[in-house]
Amino acid sequence: MDVPLYLRPRVDPPLASLLRAQTFLHSLVDALGSPLNVLLPEVVAENAARFRAVYRRHHLSGRVYFAHKANRSSALVRRLAAEDAAVGVDVASLAELRHALGCGVTGDRIMATGPKDAEFLWLAARVGATVNLDSPGELEHLADLVRRHGLGRVAVLARLSGFESAAGRGATGTRLLSRRSRFGTPLGEARELLSALERHADAVDLTGVAYHLDTTGVEEKARALEQCVLFMDECRERQLAPRAVDIGGGFGVGYVADAEEWERWTTALSEAVLGVRPPLTWRGHGYGLRNEGGTVRGTAALYPAHRPTAGPGYLDELLSLPAPVLGRPAATLLLEHLHDLHIEPGRALVDQCGLTLARVLDVRPAGEGSGHHLVRLGMNAGDMSLEEHGVLVDPVLLPRGGPAEDEDAHEPVGVYLAGNLCLEADLITRRLVHLPRLPRAGDVLAFANTAGYAMDFHAHHAQRQPLARTVAVEPDGDSWRWCPDEDYWPLTHPGGTTA
Amino acid sequence: MRYDSITEAIGNTPLVRIDPAVHGLRNIDLYAKLEMLNPFGSVKDRPAWHMARPHLEAAADGDGTVVELSSGNTAKALALLAGMHGLKFKSVTNRMRVPEIKELLLLLGAEIEELPGRSECLDPTDTDDPLTHFHRALSDPASTYLHTDQYFNPRNTEAHAAGTGPEIVKDLDGRVPDWFIACVGTAGSSTGVARVLREHDPGVRVLGLVAHKSDFIPGIRTIDEVHQVGLFDPGTYDTIESVTSGEAIDGMVTLIRRCGLLSGPTGGAAYQGAVRHLRDADAELDGTGERRTAVFIVCDRAESYLSYVRRRRPELLGRADRGNSAASLTDAEARAEARAVDVGEARRWTAEGDPRPLVVDLRSPHAYAALHIEGSVNIVDEVFDELVRGGLPFSKRTPVLLACPVGEKSLRYAALLTRMGHPDVRSLAGGIVAWRDAGAPLVRE
Repeated sequence: MDVPLYLRPRVDPPLASLLRAQTFLHSLVDALGSPLNVLLPEVVAENAARFRAVYRRHHLSGRVYFAHKANRSSALVRRLAAEDAAVGVDVASLAELRHALGCGVTGDRIMATGPKDAEFLWLAARVGATVNLDSPGELEHLADLVRRHGLGRVAVLARLSGFESAAGRGATGTRLLSRRSRFGTPLGEARELLSALERHADAVDLTGVAYHLDTTGVEEKARALEQCVLFMDECRERQLAPRAVDIGGGFGVGYVADAEEWERWTTALSEAVLGVRPPLTWRGHGYGLRNEGGTVRGTAALYPAHRPTAGPGYLDELLSLPAPVLGRPAATLLLEHLHDLHIEPGRALVDQCGLTLARVLDVRPAGEGSGHHLVRLGMNAGDMSLEEHGVLVDPVLLPRGGPAEDEDAHEPVGVYLAGNLCLEADLITRRLVHLPRLPRAGDVLAFANTAGYAMDFHAHHAQRQPLARTVAVEPDGDSWRWCPDEDYWPLTHPGGTTA
Repeated sequence: MRYDSITEAIGNTPLVRIDPAVHGLRNIDLYAKLEMLNPFGSVKDRPAWHMARPHLEAAADGDGTVVELSSGNTAKALALLAGMHGLKFKSVTNRMRVPEIKELLLLLGAEIEELPGRSECLDPTDTDDPLTHFHRALSDPASTYLHTDQYFNPRNTEAHAAGTGPEIVKDLDGRVPDWFIACVGTAGSSTGVARVLREHDPGVRVLGLVAHKSDFIPGIRTIDEVHQVGLFDPGTYDTIESVTSGEAIDGMVTLIRRCGLLSGPTGGAAYQGAVRHLRDADAELDGTGERRTAVFIVCDRAESYLSYVRRRRPELLGRADRGNSAASLTDAEARAEARAVDVGEARRWTAEGDPRPLVVDLRSPHAYAALHIEGSVNIVDEVFDELVRGGLPFSKRTPVLLACPVGEKSLRYAALLTRMGHPDVRSLAGGIVAWRDAGAPLVRE
């Protein structure tokens, strides 16, 4: 076959040693079934510490909120609850709010974002959470609830959007376009929001302004951050006293370890779309690229799977970037205006926190002469939804009974990973995945780094296939201990058995 | 030479031999085609004029806007051409990666629109690229956009087939070079020149240079990006090789410092890529007594790329120490030599001191205007840094309290001023943040 086009995952120490504990992982799947989610709660606390180290480097105060929507686990939220008050949780639904409270996160460490109904607003107000206001309408709704139910003043952030205009105070001579968002109050209409905040000052207390931009572009974010600082100034002129700028999340994760593998694969995708090499995907899927008369058109709908800077490093880069109007680095701007910084990482905070395991059920040749195989797994695309987020990365093969003695005799092989649904479209990935050898029924494939959006975000009960169980694990000397996710508490010796 | 219009000065650029002592090729004469000497400064003057001319002559002094996807030389040439014809020019680009070029385009009267970055929370069903909206705007029947479409417009290639290519043959006394080397951006110059050279002599070998995939060289595309160019045909090139930004700058420095050619990084990449590629062929020619010829293109000039060089090779722009600087102090020295006062002591000193200290706030004017210590003066750290290079910016008889956001910078400057002989400079410990947190008063401008 051709040179194998690997996209091998980036795995850092705790996750890497877990992947070497093959007997342990096999025994978990034997006992708890396939698919199975495995979490490392200690890593989420280490990640929070890395973000806070960036704060310290820039002398900034403020809170790191975990965007709960990235993962439903209790273990992760409970582990973060055990951190000090500089770590909080960002919830996007009534159930997430209840879950965070039940995990021990106090109301003052909770941020409520996203679309909110009356019950969600009531509970958030009741427990002293901060409400990230989506719109002027939501402010009216909240103020009304507060007065009618005697809830006491609620801390609110004004979420802003539409930072694109080249005119006005933020003029830099060029127009930097951004994707349109359906959340937040457009900056151009924010004056009316301020008037409403003043009118409702008995019910709400503006503690800051917020934005969240769906982009990897650091310049767009630096511009929005500066616009928020300028807007805070307008708030102060009105005798409002906001203190925090909440810049949301989107710090990213690097999934693929090696830049060259990622570059080789993406180049090969263009060539495959042009027809100068065999397809790299099931039925020649182009991931958004298409061939028009020998020229590649369109944009690959792919997450940049190899990222030289992501997570805390990306935050550091953003904070170091000069603001387009005032010229000072973003961190200096925040600091000298005496503002706190809030962030809401999701994916980046659970980086390296988990695995999704699936049993190999069946292996068969995929068509004549191709040399490729179809590998059916005990999971479906909803159980491991990296593909749904455009993330391409290889699973790690965990052979049953450990590495075979004739391991070196095996040849790399290209396989398509199919799910357990009776549905043509149920492929774990449409990409031809290269593995160091052909899997056998009974082996396990481990998908690394699935804790952010890929583990349970899209999981469903279609065709009555089982949902994955989730367990929390931690090292115990040379072996590992585990417990069901719902039984994990951040005590010195968490419950569960030693494997 | 006398012209009625600057556009008549486009083309007929010199072909200059590179001194063999510089490139070290013993059997190959290497020539540089100096496209940087076009009137607007680059190889893009030719296609810009050839593509825009029909639009401009038809629409002169109307309300049309010339529009192009360009963040560099094509935009520069089109902005000037549009201005000459009383029209506007708009550049749409993924990112202006070289700040000087952005500012230059603004000076030329261009309007710049930057497209958004990639989505972080990706929706794979949304395969619209940001350019879709651009093309939709162009095809609107009410649109007054004049799109030159440099990546697909055959007039881009024609400009070189009619100009650059024949000029090279003429200057080599009717002979075709054995190698032609060009960086691939829109593929216009390489395709146009290669076509003409092959018509004269099919034996010519064409080397296309692309940027190393994770790297950035202005005006050159990576191997993936060239596939998105309509004018790009892999059949044009005998070989495609990649070059890094490091090689581009090496080549640029050689051309500037040893050949008197004020080339930018693209020309540097072409030179470096050419010499690298020709070295083996040159060795094979040893002892045969045969001579060969190669031509590469110098696209544009160096001046617009200082920040590009500064970012990658700061030592090339290194400058000598200019005197006192807070940066020359270590953290330990700052702590040992500076005097810091806490908020309570600072409040007493500013209220009751005899004489009272001058309070200097080192934050930016915007932050100062928003909230500051009453009676303080604002000298932003960058300006303060310039002031202390020359000497003490105030009398030794005036006691001074320095304040910054958290008391870190102010401590360094307090140590520095003490070293410079000021008897009483103190730093506000914990800075304005500590002052605010202690509930001490701050006023707005």
